Amino acid sequence: MSSLQQYLDLYAAQGETLCGASCGAMNAAREAALAGLQQHGLPTSRNERYKYTDVEAALAPDYGLNLRRTLPAVDPYKEYRCAVPHLSTSLYFVVNDVPYTVQTPTAPLPEGVLVQPLSQADPALVAAYYNREAGRKYDGVTALNTLLAQDGLLVYLPAGTVLSNPIQIVNVAAARADLMVNRRLLIVAEEGAQGVILLCEHADGQSRTLATQVTEIFVGEGANIQVNAVEETTEQHTALDNVYVHQAAASHVSYNGVTLTCGQTRHRLDFRLDGKGADMVARGVVVADGQQRVDNSLVVDHAAPSCTSDMLYKYVLDGHSVGAFAGLVLVEKGAQKSLSQQTNANICAAPTARAFSQPMLEIYADDVKCNHGSTIGKLDESALFYMRQRGIPEREARLILQQAFVGDVLRHIELERLRERLAHLVEMRFRGELSACAGCKMCR
Amino acid sequence: MLEIRNLHASVEGKEILRGVNLTIGDGEVHVLMGPNGSGKSTLSHVLVGNPKYEVTEGSITFNGKDLLSLSPEDRAHEGIFMSFQAPIEIPGVSMTNFMRAALNAKRKYFGQEPIGAGEFLKLLKEKRQLVGLDAHFMSRGVNEGFSGGERKRNEIFQMAVLQPLFSILDETDSGLDVDALRIVAEGFNMLRTPQTSAMVITHYQRMLDYLKPDFVHVLVKGRVVKEGDASLGYAIEERGFDWIREEVEE
Ligand SMILES: Nc1ncnc2c1ncn2[C@@H]1O[C@H](COP(=O)(O)OP(=O)(O)O)[C@@H](O)[C@H]1O
Ligand SMILES: [Mg+2]
Repeated sequence: MSSLQQYLDLYAAQGETLCGASCGAMNAAREAALAGLQQHGLPTSRNERYKYTDVEAALAPDYGLNLRRTLPAVDPYKEYRCAVPHLSTSLYFVVNDVPYTVQTPTAPLPEGVLVQPLSQADPALVAAYYNREAGRKYDGVTALNTLLAQDGLLVYLPAGTVLSNPIQIVNVAAARADLMVNRRLLIVAEEGAQGVILLCEHADGQSRTLATQVTEIFVGEGANIQVNAVEETTEQHTALDNVYVHQAAASHVSYNGVTLTCGQTRHRLDFRLDGKGADMVARGVVVADGQQRVDNSLVVDHAAPSCTSDMLYKYVLDGHSVGAFAGLVLVEKGAQKSLSQQTNANICAAPTARAFSQPMLEIYADDVKCNHGSTIGKLDESALFYMRQRGIPEREARLILQQAFVGDVLRHIELERLRERLAHLVEMRFRGELSACAGCKMCR
Repeated sequence: MLEIRNLHASVEGKEILRGVNLTIGDGEVHVLMGPNGSGKSTLSHVLVGNPKYEVTEGSITFNGKDLLSLSPEDRAHEGIFMSFQAPIEIPGVSMTNFMRAALNAKRKYFGQEPIGAGEFLKLLKEKRQLVGLDAHFMSRGVNEGFSGGERKRNEIFQMAVLQPLFSILDETDSGLDVDALRIVAEGFNMLRTPQTSAMVITHYQRMLDYLKPDFVHVLVKGRVVKEGDASLGYAIEERGFDWIREEVEE
């Protein structure tokens, strides 16, 4: 029997309780999600985009759900220490899958900007965007999330607003018994809006946790949004994370995903460049060892002419870890003057680590320039020896080379404090001094 | 300083060095010559412990220590430096960070504190000027985008910073124009002391002029077949190696 059945049974039994905590738009989307799940089920390894992540197995444990929406007794504003010092942000927490609203953050938001639980936001605003991008094509994980999610956060940047501080959203999975959390994040940036969003993933590692997360980002004409997603969870944590980005003309999005520690993680990132001159950059750094598995599956759909896409993902895999990268650039008919660059480079630091890399192109226009490349290899032995000849001990030399390898991605991160901090965390990670979040009591 | 006895070494299963004997005393400069493929670079790599090269027989003693039992990094700390025939490019690792890591590793080996920031920058500047490398090279990746000549100068710069007891210069002069050769050779000469020695691999008379070597050795097919003073070097520069090969065959 499919792992899915227990969740369908749960929905059948508890649907009413579950809907009781949610807004109209969330409840309205459930029926189609349920029908989809009943018809198509969960993705299997035959599905190109789930080749390296066994969703059935990930969902098999008997996870509980937080149907009653209880919050742990801790006050995250007191307990949480951001791992990025001297970075002033407007800070929000989602504890398990409940937006924490007991207290409001310190740094105020510019006029008109909203960060609210979906359950408390303007229903018309939520209904205008919720599941619009995520629901376009069937995805079993997105459907399951749509069926079970009870709340989420809305980030709303009205036309022309410019964030002075980044908005930081910290997701913490903390539970004494095996727990599944289902989160939604809806980011709406209207025409010309600009801002930086920092997403931090944490887990306390006390018991097994599974997070399904669906993020939709709507970027209006000429808007400029930067998302930095940093993952510092534990080996007990599974993340099934689907991100859908819709971009209007002349908009710009840069997405930086850094996986420092995790158990099993899968990111699906779909970008739709849906207006002339839209521009996106996605970069990723993955550091994995032990039994960790990290799978990034990207699709960039050039649906309009003169759009640009740029992807750069680098993995350093040690131990028995598995890293997968799949990137598909789809240039639709009529999307002339598309420019695309896709690079994935992997270092297997141990012979037991495995990397899978699959950059792909599907082009239906003739006047385009698309490049892609991928490499899987070891550290450069001649560079290693050169350093040792100069007296740098082998371990240190390996560390320096690995850092330089991923530093090539990190150097693009525009937030200086974050860039420096991530470089430091990556170094600690390579030194073996970081096995989970380096932060605070929240993850202890 | 250095004593090589009956050294046999192979690379990828192929024997390249077939019984090398060579002794280098304190303060001496030795020139190693030989046709292409005779094993000069192989000998250099074996001395610095490149794991690609396998020593199958023989011994190397360096200042009383069994060199073959030391790791490459410990050999470096003990004072052995090699200027690579083909210096390696390390993108993303700045020259400054590279040199700091190397210098501090050595200090740690001798139980010293890491070098202070000010002292370090002063040292880099002084040594850079010795070989005429501009400041901007220090913020670039190691040899990243350096021309052939700049790479060779960079090797001597690193030697100047690390102050080895024994230096191996593997064709550091090849590919250099007259001016660059002078800068490299004069830089090298300025670093010489009565305690430091060197093994210099070269094909050029001009280099012999600058270095005034104490001894010249000729390596053919993995063996030292002829030895002499600087005049042997000039003879080879003039007449090539064939006459030596013939002598050996007789
Ligand atoms: N890393 C290596 N892999 C394979 N063969 C090598 C390697 N290094 C040297 N050799 C071989 O060893 C022989 C000697 O080379 P080398 O020591 O470079 O000579 P030289 O420096 O005197 O020109 C040549 O036949 C060369 O092809
Ligand atoms: Mg050579």
